[in-house]
Amino acid sequence: MAAAPEPGRPRRSGWWRRGARARLGPDAMAAVAEGRRVAASVRAGLDGPGALAAARRLRRLLGADAVGLSGLSGVPTWSGHPSDQVAAAELLQRVLRTDARAARGRLVVLPLHARDEFVGALVIDGEVANAASLEAAALLGEALDRARLEASADVAEQAELRALRAEISPHFVYNSLTAIASFVESDPERARDLLLDFAAYTRHSLARHGDYTTVAGEFQAIEAYLALARAVLGERLRVQVRIAPEILPVALPYLALQPLVENAVRHGVELTGAGGFVQVSGQAEGTECVITVEDDGPGMAPGYAADVLAGRGRPGSLGLMNVDRRLRTVFGPGYGLVIETADGAGTKVVLRVPRFQPGVVAQ
Amino acid sequence: MSGRGAGGLRVLAVDDVAPALDELRRLLLESPDIADVATAPDAITALRLIQASPFDVVFLDISMPAMDGMELASLLTRMTDPPVIVFVTAFEEHAASAYGIGAVDYLLKPVGRERMRAALDRVRRFIASDTGATPARASVDALAAVPVELGGRTRYVRRDDVRFAEAHGDYVRLNTPSGSHLVRIPISQLEKHWQPAGFVRVHRSYLLAVAAVRELRSDISGGLLAHTDVGDVPVSRRHARELREHLLEAATRGEFDAGAAPPTGRERR
Repeated sequence: MAAAPEPGRPRRSGWWRRGARARLGPDAMAAVAEGRRVAASVRAGLDGPGALAAARRLRRLLGADAVGLSGLSGVPTWSGHPSDQVAAAELLQRVLRTDARAARGRLVVLPLHARDEFVGALVIDGEVANAASLEAAALLGEALDRARLEASADVAEQAELRALRAEISPHFVYNSLTAIASFVESDPERARDLLLDFAAYTRHSLARHGDYTTVAGEFQAIEAYLALARAVLGERLRVQVRIAPEILPVALPYLALQPLVENAVRHGVELTGAGGFVQVSGQAEGTECVITVEDDGPGMAPGYAADVLAGRGRPGSLGLMNVDRRLRTVFGPGYGLVIETADGAGTKVVLRVPRFQPGVVAQ
Repeated sequence: MSGRGAGGLRVLAVDDVAPALDELRRLLLESPDIADVATAPDAITALRLIQASPFDVVFLDISMPAMDGMELASLLTRMTDPPVIVFVTAFEEHAASAYGIGAVDYLLKPVGRERMRAALDRVRRFIASDTGATPARASVDALAAVPVELGGRTRYVRRDDVRFAEAHGDYVRLNTPSGSHLVRIPISQLEKHWQPAGFVRVHRSYLLAVAAVRELRSDISGGLLAHTDVGDVPVSRRHARELREHLLEAATRGEFDAGAAPPTGRERR
């Protein structure tokens, strides 16, 4: 509580009326700091756990005898005791009904607004200048405003993370089922194995439990995917997967790796019409886990690769950007994807994540 | 319990979805050492069958109407001589509670042949340890070093130096960084001795030190190789899952970090 008022300072200060300019100095900064703390205290709302602390600080800042904060519930949190409880309650109810300032004697009740929405009221009892009261109400309104924005940004981010989870490509689903159907009579054994792979692939893609899996789990899904892709593409697809065992337990968001492999198979092999080689390898480099997915397909201009990661690629090219965004959101800006490519030179996507990250645990 | 496991396992399969039950029964009958497979379409029928004649193992679907698999399982565990329980389910959210009830394994539908084989191996091991028929472990550390003939002199190969062993008839070839050595011992025998020391059978002819794996490689045909600093070891499909699990466990314990040699075989093409 660095900014507690010094004992010698007049409590009912007239700083506002006498002109702030003359009094600017270390004390003014202390008041600003105290205002910031008020804002932080009401972050959880006027009925939240910080309401009492906010009321106390405001009471000191205003030099009031009592300050009450109330949400729309009409039950105020008080710092100090209002001289007339009944009058204060009446006045508060009136303001909550009318959304307009009300005063009686030294008692003032001001409506509070966040994002133009009526959210509660500030009750002040004491000799407080009108301008100071208005300033306090404005401070609270802005703080509540910001808290709302932050909360909705959090919600939006969570929703975005969920929405960004790659979706199963219908194209791939039907190609797989067609391939399986074609084996049912000619090679029932293989059809059966492929159905098991299909189950593993969809199980992983539809997983809802927890947000994180391990590299081991992600690789298992990739093996299932590759078995299906081989059934669809036949000899055209050549694949090699190499993985160092020490990275198997590393936690990853679900479907961080699989879309990269699907992307390599699709753009490096499937769309070329000819055959192609896809190589996936993963290893530890110090405290980081580095996984590369390479294809020898047509590649792309480096500038276009940057556009893809920025979400400015062709429609349907959002897979890589999704993975990149999710990795950066979870692990921080130092991690994510790097694309190494050039026209006619194949594509290499490098995924880099920390091997250990507090709070990121596979379920 | 007398005679359990001898002459094949007596199995009961319980599932309310008829095709799933048929499939489960077919898979079980394909497996060796299964004496008989009875089936029940619901928990009540299963209870009646169990009361009428004992079973070694019950394969149990979890989501069933009336009494579900979990409830049936917790009833069964209260019997004086309960059958071994293996859950079979389409959705994996129940795994934690399934093991809590004391299930020996937990299969996801549709079940693959390899996975079923692994589950039955687990069941047999569980029954064997339950009846006290555990293999003698006293001689385990007698084989911490193996005598080999080298130029007419007897030398010892330390188990810790062995990356993998390869079967050659009644002999095995022990592969170490300093060379390979032929020893007269069947690979299945060596497996019994070395399994507690972190070796797993990954192929009919190969026994592998889990901690020696530097890289797992799967190639175009879907075959799997375990790469070590003294050579590659083929991993058969039926052992792949088990090896992966061992590797994940070892890696989680940090076994590949503690003073591990820098990964070799990073050669790029």
